Amino acid sequence: MSAIGDRRVDPGLSRNRPHGNVGVLRIAVVVLFLVLGGRLVQMQLVDGAEYAERSELNRIIVESVPPTRGLIFDRNGQPLVQNSGSFTALITPGFLPEEPANRYRLYLYLEDLLGIPALQIEEAVTAAEERGQRDLPLPIARALDRETALMLEQVAADLPGVTLSVEPRRVYPGGPEFSHILGYVGPQSPDEWRVLQNDGYSYNEVVGKVGVEARYESALRGNPGTSITEVDAQGDLITTIERTDAEGGRGILLSIDSDLQRYVYELLTNTMGEATTAAAVVMSPVTGEIYAIVSVPTYDNNIFSLPDPGEEYQALLNDPRIPLLHQALSPIAPGSTFKIITAAAALQEGNVTRYTRRDVDSSVLEFIGEDGQPYYFYDWRVHGDIDLVEAISWSSNIYFYMASCGIPQEGIAGLGSNTEQSAIVLGYYARSFGLGQVTGLDIASTESPGVIPSPEWKRRVRSGPLFNPEDRDWYLADTCFMGIGQGDVTATPLQIAVATAAIANGGYLLEPYVTRQILGPDGTLLSTTEPSRERVPVDEEHLAVIRQGMRQSVIDGAARLAALPDTLVAGKTGTAEFIDPEDGETKDRAWFTGFAPYNNPQVVVTVFYDLGVGGTKAAPTAADIIGYFLENVEP
Amino acid sequence: MSRFGVEGSLRAWDRFDAILALTALALVGYGLVLIYSGSLGSYDGPTASLDNPVVRQGLFALIAIGAMFIISRFDYHVLLHYAWWVYGASILLLLVLIPIGQTDFGSTRWFALGPIQFQPSEFAKLATILLLARFLSEQGGDARDLRVLGGSLAITAPVLLLVFIQPDLGTTIIFAAIWLGMVVVAGIQRRHMLFFGAVFLAVLPFLWTFTVADYQIERISVLFDAEEDPLDAGYNPIQSQIAVGSGQLFGKGLTNGEQTQLDFLKVKTKDFIFSVLGEELGFVGAMALFALFILLLMRGIRAAQIAGDIPGQLIAAGIVITILMQAYINIAVNLSIFPVTGLPLPFVSQGGSSLLTLFLGLGIIQSIVMRHRAYRQF
Repeated sequence: MSAIGDRRVDPGLSRNRPHGNVGVLRIAVVVLFLVLGGRLVQMQLVDGAEYAERSELNRIIVESVPPTRGLIFDRNGQPLVQNSGSFTALITPGFLPEEPANRYRLYLYLEDLLGIPALQIEEAVTAAEERGQRDLPLPIARALDRETALMLEQVAADLPGVTLSVEPRRVYPGGPEFSHILGYVGPQSPDEWRVLQNDGYSYNEVVGKVGVEARYESALRGNPGTSITEVDAQGDLITTIERTDAEGGRGILLSIDSDLQRYVYELLTNTMGEATTAAAVVMSPVTGEIYAIVSVPTYDNNIFSLPDPGEEYQALLNDPRIPLLHQALSPIAPGSTFKIITAAAALQEGNVTRYTRRDVDSSVLEFIGEDGQPYYFYDWRVHGDIDLVEAISWSSNIYFYMASCGIPQEGIAGLGSNTEQSAIVLGYYARSFGLGQVTGLDIASTESPGVIPSPEWKRRVRSGPLFNPEDRDWYLADTCFMGIGQGDVTATPLQIAVATAAIANGGYLLEPYVTRQILGPDGTLLSTTEPSRERVPVDEEHLAVIRQGMRQSVIDGAARLAALPDTLVAGKTGTAEFIDPEDGETKDRAWFTGFAPYNNPQVVVTVFYDLGVGGTKAAPTAADIIGYFLENVEP
Repeated sequence: MSRFGVEGSLRAWDRFDAILALTALALVGYGLVLIYSGSLGSYDGPTASLDNPVVRQGLFALIAIGAMFIISRFDYHVLLHYAWWVYGASILLLLVLIPIGQTDFGSTRWFALGPIQFQPSEFAKLATILLLARFLSEQGGDARDLRVLGGSLAITAPVLLLVFIQPDLGTTIIFAAIWLGMVVVAGIQRRHMLFFGAVFLAVLPFLWTFTVADYQIERISVLFDAEEDPLDAGYNPIQSQIAVGSGQLFGKGLTNGEQTQLDFLKVKTKDFIFSVLGEELGFVGAMALFALFILLLMRGIRAAQIAGDIPGQLIAAGIVITILMQAYINIAVNLSIFPVTGLPLPFVSQGGSSLLTLFLGLGIIQSIVMRHRAYRQF
C-alpha cells in the first residue's frame, strides 16, 4: 500500500493515476464482519444452549387433554346436568381482507347468518384495530345456537379471519329449584389457581364454585390426559409423540328426588303469601339422606355458564332477599320447634317428667328478677292444667320456662342448680342434637352453625364499647327464652330437621347427605355413602314421650293442620317472634318440624317461612309434603 | 480509438481475476445448498424441473456468469460515456414507479414485466456508481473541494429520496453508503466529513420518526414475500434469532433444522437464508461464508487499488461498497441487530435479478482489472 501512498502525495503525477483512499474499504470490510462475527459468537456460542431450548419449545407442544366432567343424577337416575358446547363467532382483524369493500361484503354475509348488523361488526373491528389488537380473535356473537354454529363452521373456511370457537359448557336442565344443591362451575380465581395448578389444572379449566359441583370437584373432574406433539409454525400436527387419554369424571347419584324437589319448591312458592323467603328440608330419619332441600327464592345457575353473566349476576346480588343464600342452611330463631330439645333435656335431667303438671291458668307469669323487680313472661294462651305431652302438643311457653329455667319464686328448679347452670345444661343437649355446629351436609355452601348461647358466650360477644357492662351478664330471662327457642338461639331448618330425625329414630344424630352413590364414567357403581350416626345422650323412653307429644299436637294440638287421613303424622309447630327492623312491629316466623309415619318414621319434614304462624302456615305445607312423599317417593 | 477497442482486452484475458469469479461461484454454490434445504418444505416436485428453486437459481447463475464475461469484454469507459443517460433513465423509472409500480404490503418497488419482476433501484445503484465515478474523476478524482462534494451529493440525493419514499430503508442506506464510500475513496476532507456527520445527526430524529414509526412498525410486513402471512412484526426476528442461536458451533446438520424445516422461519430462501445457514451449519458454516465474502470483497478492493484510472477505481469501490453493505445489512437483520428491511444476501439468496445485477457488477470489475495496464500507460 505504500505505492498508493506515494502516488497520493506526489502532485506531479498524471491525473489519470488513481490515488484513492482504498485502504478505508479494507478497514470497513474487516470492521463490519467483526461486528457480525462478534454477534454470532454471542448468539451461537455463548447463548446457544438457551436458543436450542427455545427451538425445542417452539415445536414441541405439551397439552393437557381435558377430561369430560362427570354428570349428576337424581335418586331415580334423572340427569340434572348436561355437558354442552358454547359456540362463539370470532373475527381476527389481521386476517380479514385488506380491501374495505370486500370486508364489508363479509360483514353483510355475517349479518345474514348471525343477525348482527354489519355496521356493528365494522365498528367493533375498527375499535379493536385502533386498540392495536389486530391478531387477537374478537368475539362477534356469543352463545350461538347449534344450527347457526354448524352453518358458520361450514362457511368459515371461505371467510378469511372468521372462526368458530367451541367451549365446554355446563347446562342445568332441572330448573332453578336445583341451583342451591348443584351449584355451578366457573373460571378459577387467582387463589384457586395457585392451589389447583399443582393438581394439573390448566388455567382455562372451569371448577365447581359452590354446591355439589364444588364439593365433589375432584370426582366430577376426572383425570386429564396429556398429549405431546410436534407441530410446525402453522401449529399443524407433524407427529404425535405421546398421548394418554383423559379419564372422564365420575357420575354422582344424588339422594334428591327431583320430582319431590320440584313439588316442594312449587308448594313453598305458592304458599308464601306475605313471606319473602322460605325453606324446607325432607330427609330420611333412618339414613340421613336428603330427599329434598329447597330454598326460596332461588336463582338460575345456568347464568354462570353464560359468557358474560354480569347483568343477571348483579341483579342477584342486588336482590334484598339474597337468592344466592341457601335458606335451609341459614340460621334463624327456631322458636317453639326448639322445645323438643328442651323437653329432651328436662326429661333426661329429671327436673320434669312425663307427668309433671302445671296449671297455666293465666297467660302471664310474674318472675322476680335478679334486681328484685317483677318481670312478666307471656304464654300465647291459657292452657289450663297440662302435663308435658300436652305442653308439647299445645306448645306452652310457661311450661317450658318451668322446664328450662325453673320458677325460682315458687322454688321450682330448672335444668341446673342455678340460672347459668341451667343454660349450660340446655346448651349441652342442644349441641348433642346437632345445633350450634354445621351438620356437614355435602354441599359446598355457606352453611352456618347458628348460635347456642351460654353465659361465657354472652360475655364474649357482648364485650366492647358498644355494650354496657350489665349487657354481658347472664339473666334468668336468658335461660327462660333459650328454653323456648327465642332470645339468642338460632338454628337452620336443616339442623332442626336433623334434631327431629334424632327424636324420630330413637336417638341417633345423623350426618345429612345429598350424594348417595358415586358412579364410574361408564355408569358402574363405585361407592355408596355410608350413613354416619351418633347416639344422643337421651334415653329412648324420654324420646318416646316427646314423639307422643308431637303426635298429640297433630291430633288435637297446635299442629292440627298437619294431619293426614292415611298416615299418622307427628310434629311440632314454631312461631318465632321478631321485631321487624323496618316498621318496629312484632311479627312471627312460621316453623313446622315433624315426621311420619308415627310408628315407623320414614320421613322428616321441616318447613320454614320468614313470615307467618307455624300452625296455620307451615303445618299444612308439611302435611302436603309428607302426603306427596309417602305416595310418590321410594325411600 | 484503440482505447475503446478490443485488442488490448484480448491480451488482458490472462489478467482476468479468476479468484474473484471463483469466490463468487462458491457463494452461489453455497446458496444453492441452502436454497435446497430451505425449499424442502415448499417444493416437492421432480428434481429436474424449472419449478425447482435450486434448478432455477442454477440457471440464473449460468446466465449471470455469461453476462459477467460479456461485460468484462467491454471497456468500462463505454459505460462511463453513457453514464448521464443511464442515470437519467433510472430516475425516470423510479418516478414512473410511483403511479404504476407493484405495491406489496404498502411498499412500491417493482415493475411487473409479465412473469419477471424488475426493480429499478437495482439498476439505479449501478447508474449512480457510474455517474459518481465519472463526475468525481472529471473533477480530478478529488472530493476535497466542497463544490465537488456538493455536486456528488446532488447526484445521489434524487435517487436516494426516490427509494426512500417507496419506502425501502435498506436500499436507501446502500445509496448513502455508496456516496459516502466513494467520496471517502476520492479523498473527502475530515472537516467536511464532520460537517456531514453533524447534518446527519441533525436529521436523525426525523428519520427515526418517519422510518421507524411509520414504516418499520406499521409496514413491517412489506419485507416479507407476498405469499407469507403478515404476522406481527416481532415474529421473524424472534424466529431467526432462535434459528441462528440454536445452531451453536456445528449446526444441526443440513436439512435437520427444526426452525427451517417446520416452517418457523419465513422467506427462508431469500431474506432469511442466513438463518438457515446459522441453524443447520452453525458457527463454523457462518465463518466459512464470512471467509468467502471477505475474500470476494478484498479481491474487489484489489481491483480498485490496481485500477488504471480514477473512474475505474471509483467504480470498483462503489461496487465493493454495494456488495459489502448489502451482505452486512442482510446478515445483521438475521442476527436481529438491524430492523427487518428485505434485502437479499448477495450471491446466496434466491433471486434471478439480484444475481444478474451482482454478476454485471463483477463483470465491470473484471473489465477494470483486465485494462489496468492499458490505462496506466497513458
